Amino acid sequence: MKISSFKWLFGRNSEFWPTNMKTGMWAWVGHRLTGLALVAYVFLHLSFISTASMAEGGADFDLLMEMTSQPLFVAMDFLLVIVVIYHAMNGMRVVLFDLGIGIRRQKLVFWITMAISAVLIVGGLLAIWHLIFPSGGA
Amino acid sequence: MSESGVATSKVAGTWAWFFQRLSGVLLIVFLAVHLFASHFMGVGEETGQEPLITFEEVSIRLDQLFYIVVDYGMLSMVLLHGLNGFRTVLFDFDMFVKRKRVVDVTLWVVGIATLLWGIVILLPFIMNTGG
Repeated sequence: MKISSFKWLFGRNSEFWPTNMKTGMWAWVGHRLTGLALVAYVFLHLSFISTASMAEGGADFDLLMEMTSQPLFVAMDFLLVIVVIYHAMNGMRVVLFDLGIGIRRQKLVFWITMAISAVLIVGGLLAIWHLIFPSGGA
Repeated sequence: MSESGVATSKVAGTWAWFFQRLSGVLLIVFLAVHLFASHFMGVGEETGQEPLITFEEVSIRLDQLFYIVVDYGMLSMVLLHGLNGFRTVLFDFDMFVKRKRVVDVTLWVVGIATLLWGIVILLPFIMNTGG
């Protein structure tokens, strides 16, 4: 991509300039960004597990699982939860529109999917809260 | 969108569009099974500590054909969806549109190589009979 087209795509007068974006465009941009992040995550996930299964009897794997259960890693897992839930819910919205469902109320459908996402994300946080903030004892 | 010529789904093609939807919906199901099996089903012993995922446990789970199919199926769908999504992003931003063939071949090679890599990664778990 040339510099000039970069300006044309992302500059002040472009459709990607924040104040020029409407609901559907934010959803679209969010879907692309979370999608790219998830592709990167999948390769990270595979490479982690591949190094783990090298040692006989899976000793390295068990060590890795111990390490990744540390609060910092679980907190990063929560970021993953947010990204996955947004991408999945927005993806379902896209599929609905492709099936011809809800297009005329597209903004409402977007906010409904975001409300469901928020509930799922809070549920996810509650489920792993004690792993991010372990309180004494364990 | 159409005014500036960005995001022309015509470039990506109908099959890419169709399989992106199909794999996306399948991934929601696979992910649910993957998460539930990894983090909620009989994880760890009753040691009073926070249960950890262990090699032993994953091996026992992967004695069942069902979970082998789920894991390899999920990996296939992830690669299809992720790499095809990446391809869509490239074309949306008018990148490599004139090199479409090169992009397609490259992504297929990356996808198949990664799938083979993933199959190998899981073999130690599948081969371990536990005990």
